[in-house]
Amino acid sequence: MIRDITFGQFFPAKSVVHALDPRTKLILVVAYIVLVFIGNNFLCLGLAAAFLILATALSKVPPKLMLRSTRPILFVIAFTAILNLLYIKGDVLLFEWGFVQIYDKGVFTAVFMAIRIILAVLGSSLLTYTTSPTDLTDGLERLMSPLKVLHLPVHEFALMMTIALRFIPTLIEETDKIMSAQKARGADLETGGLVKRVKALVPILIPLFVSSFRRAFDLATAMECRCYHGGEGRTRMKKLQMHGRDAWAFGITALVLGGIIAASILLPPVF
Amino acid sequence: MTNIIETKDLRFEYASEEEGPRVVLDGIDLDIRKGEFVAVLGHNGSGKSTLAKHFNAMLLPSGGKCYVAGMDTADEEKRFDVRQTVGMVLQNPDNQLVATIVEEDVAFGPENMGVPPEEIRKRVDEALKAVGMYEYRRHAPHKLSGGQKQRIAIAGIIAMRPACIVLDEPTAMLDPRGREEVISTIHRLCDEMGITIVLITHYMDETVDADRVVVIDDGRVLLSAAPREVFSQVDRLKAVELDVPQATRLIYRLQKAGVKGLPAGVLTDDECIEVLSNLLEVNGCPSSKPRN
Amino acid sequence: MPILETKELTYIYGQNSPFEKKALDTVSIAIDEGEFVGVIGHTGSGKSTLVQHLNGLIKPTSGSILLDGRDIWAEPKKIRAVRFEVGLCFQYPEYQLFAETVYKDIAFGPQNMGLDEEEVNKRVKSAAAFVSLKPELLEKSPFDLSGGEKRRAAIAGVLAMEPKVLILDEPTAGLDPKGRDVILGQIREYQKERGSTVLLVSHSMEDVARVCSKVLVMNDAKCAMYGTVDEVFTRASELAGMGLNIPQVTRIFLGLKERGYNVNTCVYTARQGRDEILRLLSQAKGGDGR
Repeated sequence: MIRDITFGQFFPAKSVVHALDPRTKLILVVAYIVLVFIGNNFLCLGLAAAFLILATALSKVPPKLMLRSTRPILFVIAFTAILNLLYIKGDVLLFEWGFVQIYDKGVFTAVFMAIRIILAVLGSSLLTYTTSPTDLTDGLERLMSPLKVLHLPVHEFALMMTIALRFIPTLIEETDKIMSAQKARGADLETGGLVKRVKALVPILIPLFVSSFRRAFDLATAMECRCYHGGEGRTRMKKLQMHGRDAWAFGITALVLGGIIAASILLPPVF
Repeated sequence: MTNIIETKDLRFEYASEEEGPRVVLDGIDLDIRKGEFVAVLGHNGSGKSTLAKHFNAMLLPSGGKCYVAGMDTADEEKRFDVRQTVGMVLQNPDNQLVATIVEEDVAFGPENMGVPPEEIRKRVDEALKAVGMYEYRRHAPHKLSGGQKQRIAIAGIIAMRPACIVLDEPTAMLDPRGREEVISTIHRLCDEMGITIVLITHYMDETVDADRVVVIDDGRVLLSAAPREVFSQVDRLKAVELDVPQATRLIYRLQKAGVKGLPAGVLTDDECIEVLSNLLEVNGCPSSKPRN
Repeated sequence: MPILETKELTYIYGQNSPFEKKALDTVSIAIDEGEFVGVIGHTGSGKSTLVQHLNGLIKPTSGSILLDGRDIWAEPKKIRAVRFEVGLCFQYPEYQLFAETVYKDIAFGPQNMGLDEEEVNKRVKSAAAFVSLKPELLEKSPFDLSGGEKRRAAIAGVLAMEPKVLILDEPTAGLDPKGRDVILGQIREYQKERGSTVLLVSHSMEDVARVCSKVLVMNDAKCAMYGTVDEVFTRASELAGMGLNIPQVTRIFLGLKERGYNVNTCVYTARQGRDEILRLLSQAKGGDGR
């Protein structure tokens, strides 16, 4: 049923990767993605892939689930691959048909870019599979907290995220209920042309807006009752703490990073 | 200092667009003692919720005074002290939980107060145990029942260590089981932790075990006495569109029908059974079983 | 022939997922025309799922629903027509108000039925009259009404479809005693005047005892009891076992009976209780003892 939807794509499990500090994971994923895009030959990508496979194995996230996360971007991958195939000129012409000319370098680049994007996406999926949205928000808030000096509303932004995460299931349930109620009065949401369908949404959207405002008002009252007065002077119950495993994770990533930089300097680039 | 809340000729009015100024509270004098369980009864629009919002400075009087633990609620500097002393639980269980995890929601109040992390942890665990929701500390609030959510909201207030909790129709949106959970929880908090409870409600059966029932009508205090005394005045309650327990109504109707020798203010099943068996016994309808 | 009937109705939600749960388990009931049925059961007993099956909002996993002897899912394309014949008013219906005026909101159902303007007008007026909404309120925005008025306007929106069977899911939830009595009274009036079949889902045994002729008890996804108010409420201890409370007066009379007094325990309201005690007292005066 609709109310059992979980958010993001968190895959709950007990693993070393799950137990890592969310800040560690955020930093490492950023480093990993940078490294995938620095690497300019297949050895670099091989190193990155090995690193990803190791992390996935440690995380206990099923590989099938990981692969599934690339599905939404398959189109993007295919599109870049085709562009690369058609536009990169090289020395050896492999195929010619009318204006279509495919060179060896084009093939290499297409494959290379596809692997790059897939590796980057898989890396960020691993982050969302192993970190709950709440922890992610928490980690982001704390990583960004130095930006408060620049008067960026880091706390407010994090609170906004938390409230959104808290209320999305409630609002989905509510939408479901309003839809049923209007259907019970004969609302027809399934048939008709575009205009008719958009019009049919009015009896659902208006009550939903009204109720969201009512909830927002209630929530504001409740927060005020609980002495909320912005981020100033606020403490947090949960202290994020780095452990030995975080040091290990940084160490391993640094090694892989070093390897990739070395490989990309020493070995000739693909293109 | 035995009163936690005192109002002196408290008035509240607001300007409505169409009808000009509207008086919601019209001179309320009320003292609530420390550790007391006070139920405030009144129909919709009687002013009971408006009164409740004065107890933690969510609303400020248009006239008269409201004191919380000796502090004037109109004193801007004391606002957060007032809100920490008198916590408030609202009607809709869905709309007052902030966080995606139960224990983090309970921590919200103390976090706002700037309590050190170790201390918050301790308070959150204690608060969750006090409302019997400790096992649910890692759950997501939206998957809990209404009664459970309301208990989490109560825990969120307890973690702020208030002297008094005001509950504004906390059971109006709950099923009977949820209502029972909430009412027994707040009775326990009052009895075991000595927290003063002000329960705003229109369900008379929830007020039967209170120390005192205050009936508000049209912005004034109509009655303020022990439940037995309040519910013995069936006519006055009916006049302000309030109910009395069925047992009370039954005895009242019998009295009206001319049956003599019945006490007023019968509230519970057992009391009523006792009164009726005496009545039947005296009037020659004996039981077929010997009385013990 | 019953107007509404379910045969071995079963609904499993989240089938083949980790959340799989039986919400209805072979429920077979038959409701006669003109009956006023109270539907009781605690939260999660399946009563809300059941009523959403009766007007075709949810499709059963197995089993069937017969309206006037016809399977409502015989032609799935015509399911909307079923919703006009079996009107369902959800809990807190005021949260579904949306139109610019109360009139337009109440007219939403009749207009969806494809009725002409004159007929729609007639129905809106009569539905508003049933819930005693003053005519001048019809031109106001529904969001400007008081809480009780909003509730009544929303109920009128379902009444205006003039369904053969009217189902109300906790129409009095959250109202104060006055608001509750007003709405219950109006529903009873409607039922009497129209002679239509009404199902009232409620948590309040007192309300059910006061207005209903039959009671349907849902427990654990099954229909646990279906019978007259007297038949069902005498099984007080079974009801208590399902987490349901019978009216206080009934408990008192069952207590008296247990103490050996020869009282009739089919007593649900204070008035009935008074009459029963007075009957006993007058019998005693009459001299024949009991």
